[in-house]
Amino acid sequence: MEMCKPILEVRDLYVNFYTYAGIVKAIDGVSFTVCEGETFCLVGETGCGKTVTSRAITRLVPEPGRIEKGEVIYYTPYGKINLLELPEEKLREIRGKEIAYIFQDPAAALDPLYTIGYQIAETMVEHKTVSKWKEAFIKAVEVLRSVLMPDPEKRVKAYPHELSGGMKQRSVIGIGLSNQPRIIIADEPTSYLDVTIQAQIMDLLRKLKKERKLTIILITHNMGLVAEMCDRVAVMYAGNIVELGTVEQVFKNPLHPYTKGLLRAVPNPLTKIEKLEAIPGTVPNLIYPPPGCRFHPRCSYTMDICKREKPRLVEVEPGHHVACWLYSR
Amino acid sequence: MAELKRFLIRRLVTFIPTLIGVTLLVFIIANLIPADPARAWAGGEKASPEVIERIREEYHLNDPWYVQYVFLMKKLFTNDIVSPRTHNKIWDDLIFGTSQGVAGAGTKYGRFFITLQLTLFAFLYIVFIGIPLGILSALKKDSLLDSTVRTLALVGVSTPVFWLGYLLIYIFFVRFRVIELAGFPEPTQRITGIMVIDALLLGENDIAIQIINRLALPAFVLGFIGIGVIARITRNSFLETWNADYIEFGKARGLRKSRLMRHALKNALVPIVTVLGLQFGGLLGGAPITETVFGIPGMGRYMVEAIRNFDYPALIGGVLLFALIYMLANLIVDIAYAFIDPRVRY
Repeated sequence: MEMCKPILEVRDLYVNFYTYAGIVKAIDGVSFTVCEGETFCLVGETGCGKTVTSRAITRLVPEPGRIEKGEVIYYTPYGKINLLELPEEKLREIRGKEIAYIFQDPAAALDPLYTIGYQIAETMVEHKTVSKWKEAFIKAVEVLRSVLMPDPEKRVKAYPHELSGGMKQRSVIGIGLSNQPRIIIADEPTSYLDVTIQAQIMDLLRKLKKERKLTIILITHNMGLVAEMCDRVAVMYAGNIVELGTVEQVFKNPLHPYTKGLLRAVPNPLTKIEKLEAIPGTVPNLIYPPPGCRFHPRCSYTMDICKREKPRLVEVEPGHHVACWLYSR
Repeated sequence: MAELKRFLIRRLVTFIPTLIGVTLLVFIIANLIPADPARAWAGGEKASPEVIERIREEYHLNDPWYVQYVFLMKKLFTNDIVSPRTHNKIWDDLIFGTSQGVAGAGTKYGRFFITLQLTLFAFLYIVFIGIPLGILSALKKDSLLDSTVRTLALVGVSTPVFWLGYLLIYIFFVRFRVIELAGFPEPTQRITGIMVIDALLLGENDIAIQIINRLALPAFVLGFIGIGVIARITRNSFLETWNADYIEFGKARGLRKSRLMRHALKNALVPIVTVLGLQFGGLLGGAPITETVFGIPGMGRYMVEAIRNFDYPALIGGVLLFALIYMLANLIVDIAYAFIDPRVRY
């Protein structure tokens, strides 16, 4: 494994949501490091906290959520900064300029009342990448061309509703890339698209990553995509990272019972399995999370300690971490 | 553009049956009143039978109701019917102005323009107070300001217009003497029909100020309900768009708050504009009370007087005009949709 030069480091992140029903402990001590130039994947089922984690990186946790504690260290070329302590205006200058997002549903992420050219130009003008609107509109055509939008001169004047789903997502990616960011956080960028378009969008992301030496944080529940795209992967369950390692390590040699179950529940892209099996039980209620290991009520290896104490993420082989009492002494 | 033209023609054609329906309804109701209009027009109990008979002939009152209706509509169309009360042609009273008016002093402006001006003033209050209040209320959701605005909206809707009018007259006229309640200043020449604009165009600034001074309070009273309603609609609509995905994405791409608000407001505008259009009609409907309370010689008061004197030619003329304005306001709203939202097709 090559040396990891960190670009982003999340340390001990806690996020709670203050709902009427109670406090949802959505993110419960998540830590991971993203290396420069890699594609880092966050996988897990719906509601496990992937999206909240990714949004918390630039403090975009929606109401009524609150980041309770933790650090997000961003390594700029000039030194490191803690994004969670940065003044709002400074952070705004980083969002969309150094750390850009691609959202799940491109139809909802684009403002329906403005042309995509306007929305791309706006993103550049707001970050002073370009000083004049006129210039920004000309550049917007270039941006669209770079995301392989067919007929960009015409499409720059199109409204979102005049574009297909794939073209909308290309526009969203274009907006994300317009300020030449260092990190792209792609939150399930293909789950709202047709299968055929999915492949095109992933190809595009791969191409852009190669051309621009981007770091990508990819959030997905699609195991095939993980195997195809990612260098390293973190498996999340109920607000915790339960396993973290290279794609090879996690797919070929899953250690955590949840990862094992997950890989038996979906067609494993790296090894052939005979029959798909569901993980028994359901995702826990995070207002009253199970004590100890949050997975223990569904786990077939449960021991006494699992119900009492939360396992820490430990390194069992170089680069392969797991949070499970089976592997820690 | 060709689409817009086709749309306009189609919509304007639908105006005709609506106008016929509205006037017919009012005509029938007026006809059901168990009183003898000819006697009333001739001067009441002591009127001479010859005069009454002549009026009956002139207004076809002895003919069946449908003949009367057609006669009335035809005459209205050519501005050939005289109001038995003011002795002016009805459209002169309402629109063209009566320099040699018999009842009251003549005016270059028809009654309609006085009411239109009042309505526009009230509309300005609604837009420039109601919408900002709504946005503030949404941005500071559940704060003291938000509750205050919501309470105000409720108070606004439940306050009787005449009561508020008299209350404000008591404060500003009886107590402090800062407003006038009689007379109506008029610029020396009619250009656009809106007095304030004419006065400003003619450079008669003091007249413009007098007009504004005369209308500020009644327009506020007239618009009071609307301010609350629009504040509420704006608040809810803005809250909805403020939580939309494109605003979240706007934050993620590092837009400033002012820019995010612009995106949210434009998207919130469709329901606001719809209600504003309806409000305009509501303002016209509210004008009679406000005009009566504040002594403004507008169209609302004209119609109240017409009802009192069984002057139904004038009444139907007024109703016709109100209906037309109401429909035009809604047409403008429909056109505005397309300017706000590119997805709207005619």
